[in-house]
Amino acid sequence: MTTRRVVPFVLFLSLLFAFQAFAQTDPGVRGGGAAAGAPLASVAANNPVTILNFFNDAKDRFLEIDSVTGSLAGEEGKGLGPRFNSRSCAACHAQPAVGGTAPATNPQVADATAHGAQNTVPSFITTTGPVREARFIFFTTNGVPDQNKPNGGVEDLYTITGRVDAGPCSIAQPGFATQLSNNNVIFRIPTPTFGLGLVETIADETLLVNQQNAFNNNQGITGTFNHNGNDGTISRFGWKAQNKSLELFAGEAYNVEQGVTNEIFTQERPLPGEDMGIIGGQSSTNGLPANCRGNATPEDHTNFNTTAIGTLSDLAQFAMFMRLLAPPTPSTTVPGGATSINNGRALFTSIGCAICHTPSLTTNASTFTPGLSNVTANLFSDLEIHHMGTTLADNVSQGGAGGDQFRTAPLWGAGQRIFFLHDGRTKDIQSAILAHNASGSEANGPSFTFFVNLSASQRQDILNFLRSL
Amino acid sequence: MFRGPFVCLLLLLCSFPLFAQLPTNTILVKGAEPSASDSKTPLPEGGKLAKDVYENRYFGFSYHLPSDWTEPFSGPPPSDTASYVLAEFVPSASFKGATKGTILITAQDLFFSLIPPRSAKELIKYSSDHLQPYYTLEHPPSELTIAGRPFARFDYASPVAGLHWYVLATQVRCHVIQFFLNSRDPNLLDSIVHDMNQMKLAAEDSPRCVAGYADQNVISKVDPVLTERKFNSIPVRIIIGTDGKVKHVHVISAFASQAQIITDALLQWRFKPYLQNGEPVEVETGIQFGNAPNRMQTASSASTTQ
Repeated sequence: MTTRRVVPFVLFLSLLFAFQAFAQTDPGVRGGGAAAGAPLASVAANNPVTILNFFNDAKDRFLEIDSVTGSLAGEEGKGLGPRFNSRSCAACHAQPAVGGTAPATNPQVADATAHGAQNTVPSFITTTGPVREARFIFFTTNGVPDQNKPNGGVEDLYTITGRVDAGPCSIAQPGFATQLSNNNVIFRIPTPTFGLGLVETIADETLLVNQQNAFNNNQGITGTFNHNGNDGTISRFGWKAQNKSLELFAGEAYNVEQGVTNEIFTQERPLPGEDMGIIGGQSSTNGLPANCRGNATPEDHTNFNTTAIGTLSDLAQFAMFMRLLAPPTPSTTVPGGATSINNGRALFTSIGCAICHTPSLTTNASTFTPGLSNVTANLFSDLEIHHMGTTLADNVSQGGAGGDQFRTAPLWGAGQRIFFLHDGRTKDIQSAILAHNASGSEANGPSFTFFVNLSASQRQDILNFLRSL
Repeated sequence: MFRGPFVCLLLLLCSFPLFAQLPTNTILVKGAEPSASDSKTPLPEGGKLAKDVYENRYFGFSYHLPSDWTEPFSGPPPSDTASYVLAEFVPSASFKGATKGTILITAQDLFFSLIPPRSAKELIKYSSDHLQPYYTLEHPPSELTIAGRPFARFDYASPVAGLHWYVLATQVRCHVIQFFLNSRDPNLLDSIVHDMNQMKLAAEDSPRCVAGYADQNVISKVDPVLTERKFNSIPVRIIIGTDGKVKHVHVISAFASQAQIITDALLQWRFKPYLQNGEPVEVETGIQFGNAPNRMQTASSASTTQ
């Protein structure tokens, strides 16, 4: 693909987009109260008995704010840091309700200096911007990104240095400014966790049959699956479907995002390369200093001397919370009215969006609760990974997913999301559709059809439909 | 007097940040991708658009774009099911027509397809039989000749979108090449079909392609030992020369280390030469490597011989 070929079309699409921005617009975040955050109906009905207690306890833990020692009032969770991105699960998974995704006000600004912490807020973190984690694409040699040394690991934004509960720990933040100037930083925003018990309960065989049914579609789309490296089964959680299970998903996040060691990720986590004496291209000590690792590990663990629910680790309960959360409830009338939404749904399917954004898949039988068993999950995803091309590529490889491959983002709940795409680069769902057009993208066909072959009113119907979800 | 060293210093100072900065909008970290044992033998994904003519040397065809159409973006790499997006064309900014459309050209390697059809005709019938309920059939499968080559075709529409699709398929080197034409205006699609007669298509496949040839005719082989635990399917096409040696390896989708190991091994395989009228001729076949344990079983080993 030459620049000569791309530029005129991008200009063409940009002009088209600009002119038509008046004709059809993203209705924006759907109001009317959060249509997500409740437990599955069978959980709300306490079936099986006591499951609702588990859900409520799990939600409390999801809301819990962590501090380093767990001794600060109102922040009794123990184990924050020494490096972290935020201080609780619910701080970031908040929109439109607990368990969701990046909220309107970014908690990471306040996190930077909470309790005396001495962090500088990176330029890509703003009060009204998305919650973000940052990754460096490559390790550096003499400060320069070395394309022979792929990195891709999370570079936590902050350290506990200076906090009242940090003791003598003194470590530096990564060199974000330098790596930003090197184009060596990519971002990810939190994925919403509503309905993940349903996602977990979809059998691999169901996904494979769905893949086969979509084969030879009229858009040239052919996705594949990411696989768990241990047993080869299909993995499905995370932006690149890199995580096999909710426990793994929760355990990794607890360790990486909050710095809390747990029964799956048992060591305090240094930055990528920090254990080799490198932080963002700068020399460092080898690994985290001992005085930053003051807590015994794992900081979160099974509790042997307490009540039944209290026995469980936070990690197990985080996974249970995500598992038992109901999926978002779509609106049948807002925005645009029922006729427009229904028309948009039909158009969405007809032009090929539903090839990847599979409207529904059926779960298998579950041992947890009837609400997970043999039900239709309207997730709007095939859980496959697809090439999305140069515009969206983040050049991070995870499992079998390469630098431009992403799991089809489930669209349930899209109506009440503020930020879109893996890095939260836009609040405009129409811009998110446009970003599907790129050299190397599997999704050019439906996106072309959306912008080129549909009328403005048809496009508006699709946007209304998406915001009804 | 000091101009030379000063210029050198300036150049160094100016160039250093250029070396430090990574290019934007570029895929630097690849996943599974195609590779080949040499850079001269044409590949399915190697088609190019030049001066409004799309030419694909592997498939031996060239296609002249309608006036004021363009290819804004290249397609994705071939999939692990050996599916190709060869090209996708749309009207350019200077297009003056009343209605727009898209032309998508794909290829499916019949050795590695996930679905049963093993010919263009079968695939068109399969597609028609499996048409989604939100589409209405406008013309059932039929056969026709375009540019001297047999094609199969069927048409359908989306009533809600007001869009029409014409699907035309032909078979080359054990691939089905499909043209998906899409527009609101059937007249535009009719004119595109009419103009397809100007395509240049090779009269016959060269080399011949034979399904399962490697299974029955290998004399000696060195198994590739894949050292990393990956769970991807790795479709591979090889061309076997008249002497029974592997002349060309096309790893359609694999991680770089896998591709190197497989290519190195396959170049050591020896086959019985393929005979046509008693004379050895080059032959092309497909071999599946890799390990996708839960993948649906396909009929690749039972592919029909063209």
